[in-house]
Amino acid sequence: MIFRLTTFGLITSLFVGIIYVITQPLIIESKEQARLEQLYALAKPLLENGEIQASTTQTLPSGTPVTLSNPIEITAITNATAQVGTVIPFRSTEGYSGTIHMLMALDDRQRIVGVRVVDHKETPGLGDKIDTRKSDWILQFNGLSYGDLSPSDWAVDKDGGRFDSFTGATITPRAVVNALKETLNYLDANPQILETQQ
Amino acid sequence: MKVMTVWLDGLWDRNPGLVQLLGLCPLLAVSNTIDNAVGLGLATIFVLVLSNASISLIRHLVEDAIRLPVFVLVIAALTTCAELLVQAFDYPLYQSLGIFLPLIVTNCLILGRAEALARREPFVISTMDGLAQGLGFFMVLVSLGALREWASSTLILAALPPGAFIALGLLVALHQMIQSKLKDRRAKLTENSKDRRVRTTGDIS
Repeated sequence: MIFRLTTFGLITSLFVGIIYVITQPLIIESKEQARLEQLYALAKPLLENGEIQASTTQTLPSGTPVTLSNPIEITAITNATAQVGTVIPFRSTEGYSGTIHMLMALDDRQRIVGVRVVDHKETPGLGDKIDTRKSDWILQFNGLSYGDLSPSDWAVDKDGGRFDSFTGATITPRAVVNALKETLNYLDANPQILETQQ
Repeated sequence: MKVMTVWLDGLWDRNPGLVQLLGLCPLLAVSNTIDNAVGLGLATIFVLVLSNASISLIRHLVEDAIRLPVFVLVIAALTTCAELLVQAFDYPLYQSLGIFLPLIVTNCLILGRAEALARREPFVISTMDGLAQGLGFFMVLVSLGALREWASSTLILAALPPGAFIALGLLVALHQMIQSKLKDRRAKLTENSKDRRVRTTGDIS
């Protein structure tokens, strides 16, 4: 009996394994495609006077916040003379379930052009309002730079800050706002990271 | 004859969405737009047909004691495959279905068909039953999606969760109404034929 059950287990795992191996390259490709589409949509205001360059991978010095992966893939938007903006990925591990992966576009004066959630596993109907498909919540960061608000304002309203938290789900927006604050704070002090020299 | 019953049951008489009311969680949650409904409907048909087919194929190898774990293994493996395939070929759909795609594994319709039919019936009947029940579920899911998407432009409630319950309730009521009308007619027909038979036997005796 146990032998039979084990055999069935092995057969089904093998089956899933085969499908996994076949689909994996396609999945990576479509994920990359989705990421690029999001990147273009995010950087759209910057593209009026610049073009998206190929992403560069950089190794950051030690002491970077946990919200930035290291090495990090940074995408510059440049025109003939100068860099007009940057798209940089960041993340939060403080979400309700799993890591929230986000992208942020900054202009040359480190003002937020846009922030988007790329991938998350927050609760449907509650925490997923950070996604533009569900709510415009995340658009409220547009146009802000770190220095525009005092550090205590960079928080959800429940923590005494400036940004709404959703009814019934404070953890998710708090995770996003805190990650954003930490990242912007770091970039404010280390602006050279955004300058990608090719 | 059996083929006929399988199709009639799946599509109408014992429709999983309207009569058995199985798999309500995805039915209510993902029916907010037609696109989502079609996507999840197809994924469910895929899992249901293949699970019925493979469970029917292995039905003589599975003794009673390990029946449930084996069925769950098969369904879980197929759902994982469906998830991988959707992710590979339609990433935006994968993103908008979210958690409901892996949740197909808990759709009681699928385990229900395995238990009620596929573990006893031969391959062809089981596969066909999977297709019939799957299509029945698909039809309800898509009509709900269409109804809600159409109504939500004038009535915001239709797009919200309560709208799903109300719309499904209306569909169930419609099904019941048609069903009872059909029953009346059938009853009348058999009554008539009974009368004649009674007279015939009367004449003979």
